Amino acid sequence: MKRGVIRQVSGSVVDVEFEPAYLPRLQEALTVTVEGRTLTMETAQHIGRSRVRCIMLAASEGLARGMSVTATGSGIQVPVGEKTLGRMLNVLGEPIDGGEPIQDAERWPIHHKAPSFIEQMPAVEVLETGIKVIDLLEPYPKGGKIGLFGGAGVGKTVLIQELIHNVAMQHGGYSIFTGVGERSREGNDLWREMRESGVADKTALVFGQMNESPGVRMRVALSGLTMAEYFRDKEHKDVLLFIDNIFRFVQAGSEVSTLLGRMPSAVGYQPTLAQEMGALQERITSTRNGSVTSVQAVYVPADDLTDPAPATTFSHLDATTVLSRKIAEQGIYPAVDPLGSTSRILEADVVGEEHYRIAREVQTILQKYRELQDIIAILGMDELSDEDKLVVSRARKIQRFLAQPTHVAEKFTGIPGVYVPMSETLRGFQAIVDGSVDHCPEAAFYNVGTIGDVLRRTAEAAR
Amino acid sequence: MREKPVERRAVLYSNQPPTPEQTKRFQEFLESRYDEEIPLVWEESWEFPKGFRLEVGLDSYDWSIDGRLRQLRSALSRIQGEESDKVIPLLRKAVESWQPEVIAEEEGRVVSIGDGIATVAELDYATYGEILLFNHGVRGMIQDLREHETGCILFENGDKLRQGSPVWRTGRTAGIGVSEDMIGRVVDALGGAIDGKGDIPVRAYRPIESPAPGIIDRQSVSRPLETGILAIDSMFPIGKGQRELIIGDRQTGKTAIALDTILNQKGKDVICIYVSIGQKTSSVAQLTENLRSRGAMDYTIVVHASASDPAPLQYIAPYAGCAIAEYFMEQGNDVLIVYDDLSKHAIAYRTLSLLLGRSPGREAFPGDVFYLHSRLLERSAQLSEERGGGSMTALPIVETQAGDVSAYIPTNIISITDGQIFLESSLFFSGQRPAVNVGLSVSRVGGDAQTKAMKKAAGAIRLDLAQYREMEVFTQFSSDLDDATKRQLVYGQGLMRMLRQGQYQPLQQYQQVILLVAALNHAMEDIPMDGIAPFMAELLDFFQLHHQGLCGQIERTGILTDQDREEIITAARERAAAWRKR
Repeated sequence: MKRGVIRQVSGSVVDVEFEPAYLPRLQEALTVTVEGRTLTMETAQHIGRSRVRCIMLAASEGLARGMSVTATGSGIQVPVGEKTLGRMLNVLGEPIDGGEPIQDAERWPIHHKAPSFIEQMPAVEVLETGIKVIDLLEPYPKGGKIGLFGGAGVGKTVLIQELIHNVAMQHGGYSIFTGVGERSREGNDLWREMRESGVADKTALVFGQMNESPGVRMRVALSGLTMAEYFRDKEHKDVLLFIDNIFRFVQAGSEVSTLLGRMPSAVGYQPTLAQEMGALQERITSTRNGSVTSVQAVYVPADDLTDPAPATTFSHLDATTVLSRKIAEQGIYPAVDPLGSTSRILEADVVGEEHYRIAREVQTILQKYRELQDIIAILGMDELSDEDKLVVSRARKIQRFLAQPTHVAEKFTGIPGVYVPMSETLRGFQAIVDGSVDHCPEAAFYNVGTIGDVLRRTAEAAR
Repeated sequence: MREKPVERRAVLYSNQPPTPEQTKRFQEFLESRYDEEIPLVWEESWEFPKGFRLEVGLDSYDWSIDGRLRQLRSALSRIQGEESDKVIPLLRKAVESWQPEVIAEEEGRVVSIGDGIATVAELDYATYGEILLFNHGVRGMIQDLREHETGCILFENGDKLRQGSPVWRTGRTAGIGVSEDMIGRVVDALGGAIDGKGDIPVRAYRPIESPAPGIIDRQSVSRPLETGILAIDSMFPIGKGQRELIIGDRQTGKTAIALDTILNQKGKDVICIYVSIGQKTSSVAQLTENLRSRGAMDYTIVVHASASDPAPLQYIAPYAGCAIAEYFMEQGNDVLIVYDDLSKHAIAYRTLSLLLGRSPGREAFPGDVFYLHSRLLERSAQLSEERGGGSMTALPIVETQAGDVSAYIPTNIISITDGQIFLESSLFFSGQRPAVNVGLSVSRVGGDAQTKAMKKAAGAIRLDLAQYREMEVFTQFSSDLDDATKRQLVYGQGLMRMLRQGQYQPLQQYQQVILLVAALNHAMEDIPMDGIAPFMAELLDFFQLHHQGLCGQIERTGILTDQDREEIITAARERAAAWRKR
């Protein structure tokens, strides 16, 4: 048995001394028993004098110098496969849904290499979401990587849940939801909702929420990802992977970084930020074996998109949806910034000539309005030329039409959610852009589904 | 695994050298205890004025007055009985039977001390998070276990301690004694009474840091916690078990909202805990007096860590308050806890972290400042029926600078809570009080917790107001407005007027429902702006007088039928018409 002794404890970081011949490998799981509970830690560094520096995957309270530590001989492993479906698990693959532990399932280590160059399978097909602003301006690629960026309280989680509602429930395949450092209450709501809607038996839920130690929040994304990889590589399935929230992964890393003895980098982040993110992100990809479509929420600290954590994440994604506080403030939900969000597949040969043209025209009008806003603020609307006035009126209609009631928000607003098919989305914006609904009042466009609803509202208002 | 080579050398500390006779007795004692000959060395020390202290390797024996007193104290603390009426006989027995013993205790020594941080050597078996006891009753908590040293933070002023002072282990992690008798009292962050009304008997001891309820131990937030404030209950309703942040610049009425909410819990079977962190003691005294004079201290506990308390005490205060709240929550009670305020808490933690030598990040806060608040606020929950169904609702308060909600600590906490009420100073000074910014405030779960009547009455008021504000900005320079726009603006202004509400004037649910139904159905549209407040008061009086049945029914059942709604609209229109004629 490989046993070591705790020498030093500093927050979540623990130094353990072993016999030189039995020093555990990097990223090996070690266990220690505190008051009858077995706690796990993971080796992070060899620091000389036959000691290893480890990260605790539990709270450090109760640890003492001299305690005995056991090396397990392998990295952290989680159960994978069909047995994980319908279950709620923690970072170590242990059930947290009150059920029995998962027996005789295959177990995979959470650390391994990303698929190689020859295995890659680029995404070139559109995934319809039923959300107008997304389908029109930044269509999501099937098998691609999608990021939802937003500061605190602008609606990331609501949007990710709406996507689960619209996509996962239609999808028919397997989904993995990974909660990284978010609210336990949301975990509970999601768990209940999934059981009610009947998609739970095709979904595995993995949680390491914000009340848990940084070690857990650092590793739980990998646990969820490993389960998705199994379905992709072994069962050749198309998997949906939801991660809420990938920023917490970086944040947890920065919490332990200085305790590990590293120098802080920009804004106090860990010097290894880009590498850690790269190692995780490169594993989330579609291969010749199967596809992984991932939707990742990315928290933007202090509403600052240039913060190193979100800035590093951008380059890994195929489509980015940026949520903005300014737009949320106007009551427009989902609060997507139509000019800040992008998609790699918004190209004529992928989405089609018509879609491409309408999307670009909508962007042009919105951009023009943004430029005119300063003038309006100083001189007022009256000073604009008739042509500009028309641009402003259409832009304001587009802004309102980009809002739509969601299924998830129904319980707050009392307004039933809508799913807008791609063809309806295109028809609606086409009508605004070509001026055929110029006669409808602005308010009729606010928070509706299709252009048909706008016309109906206009007719009602006229009566 | 706990072996360690013990240096076989005994050191005797006292202020005078031992007499040859004493030396002989010590040597005999050593032989009887250790079965081998150990050289005895005397060292002068003024730490133990009356008596001796002997140290052999890690063991130490104390014959000083201090040491004996400590033994007596620990003997007394062991007899804490459940039934309080038996304590005195037990106490008498313990004192009579107590004999000073010669026992080995683990003792460390202060290596360095200053700024509320101490480094201690020789406490080799101490555990992480354990409480240490210093001379003069000073307590500290372990934050760092290094190979030969232990870093700890001090909860009291450490002026009297110095290098070489002794330190003892307590074997306990930081915790707080809790009991029902705390209700109505003011305590410090360690649970000691500070209101001059004597000690509080303790029923249970709870660690200040404990894991939050798991995902499966919770249930959805579904019952309302009424604040009595129209703007909040209608647009940003708070449910039991929710965390709703109150955020705004200084002097914008943040504490007033929390205070009003506590006052409104009277007779609603909710235990309230107000935790003040780093505030002026005089303002907390005033607030407590206010609570007392309005009868709210009957169900309220105040936990106070003042601005002059050491940073470690301010750091643990909210956790201590939370531990008290958990005690009540786990018995199936509903608890409301107010943290006033978490910006000062973050600053206290920053002080500590920097002093402990951890490297600074954004705004010089340490990397784990998010975890500091997330693990605290996650402990609020609506427990599942299996866990007793109790709840803890949290109202953390955060102060912003110049209205900047996107600063680091505010956004951190916004990302933890289930919504925020943003108070704006420009609204406050323009007379719009409570100064709630409708666009930036949100409640993520409260909608489920609203009663059916309130939900039906409030309808789309939030979206209406958001659109009104946008329209107001857009049209401020336009001269010719069409009638529809003008009406929308007047309607919006009227709604804003309706939301004005004085402090200590909570509205009952039925009153809120009546006002909302009347206003949102444009019944008040033609009342001039200055007339809205008196008209509202008159309308409520009218309903109380002539529609008593309806009022009682809404309050009791929380249901508003379509027929009731029509009744309210008709009556409100009539009153409005009558008002205009005057």
